[in-house]
Amino acid sequence: MDLGKIPLLEAITRRMSWLGERQSVLAQNVANADTPGYTAKDVKAPSFAELVSGASARLPMAVTEPGHIEPVHDDGGFKLVSQKTSERAPDGNAVQLEDQMMKISDTTNDYALTTSLYRQQLGLLKMALGGGSSSGG
Amino acid sequence: MDLQTSLQLSFAGMSAQGTRLRVIAENLANADSTAQTPGGEPYQRQVVTFKSVLDRSIGATSVKVAHIMPGGGTFQRKYDPGNPGADAEGYVLMPNVNPLTELMDMREAQRSYQANLDTITAAKSMISRTIDLLRG
Repeated sequence: MDLGKIPLLEAITRRMSWLGERQSVLAQNVANADTPGYTAKDVKAPSFAELVSGASARLPMAVTEPGHIEPVHDDGGFKLVSQKTSERAPDGNAVQLEDQMMKISDTTNDYALTTSLYRQQLGLLKMALGGGSSSGG
Repeated sequence: MDLQTSLQLSFAGMSAQGTRLRVIAENLANADSTAQTPGGEPYQRQVVTFKSVLDRSIGATSVKVAHIMPGGGTFQRKYDPGNPGADAEGYVLMPNVNPLTELMDMREAQRSYQANLDTITAAKSMISRTIDLLRG
């Protein structure tokens, strides 16, 4: 059985990788909180319309020659956007630490929720197989 | 990018802020370092500037210290004829270190360091949630 083929688990996994990506981008913002000219970035939330149209599924680059270099880094198809900001420091920096910390705590909570959902789902599967308990893990 | 990337970025941020704190400590320690020769220049306060660099190994914009360079401000003249750095009139140039400015800068560096540390805590809790999935 391929767990990744179950639509709900697939969606949960995708959500987890989106949250992981977002956490990295927010960490990048915090690390650059004093860099002149740096503008805070965020990961674009996957929209329902895109999921339906399948636009978020990207085609990988084809390697037709052994000499072709494969893309080293796969960002998982998430799009980076600049955060809108209300204030900018004289040195051109537009990172508000409070804002970033709030977003990080949001991300952590969402991640906890998503992993709980995953466990719950696995618990349901186990129950169906007759080996688990109803507590969901 | 994954959670390990997040940790590495935060470490880069912490080391940059650490350098900034070190330079502030140097400034404060040298707040009274006058010249050794008559009419010479005293210690000049240093400032740290940051720049963002693309770290290709993790595919993210990391941060590093761009320059440690002399900061602005004029030297104050102080009447102290017994000082080896005093000029013919008995005045000696004092470093352009203002403890108040340095302390403000230190608070800011501390705050940024703390933010990076909290980011690491958040990323670590996310990693441990993921590992907890294995417990089933």
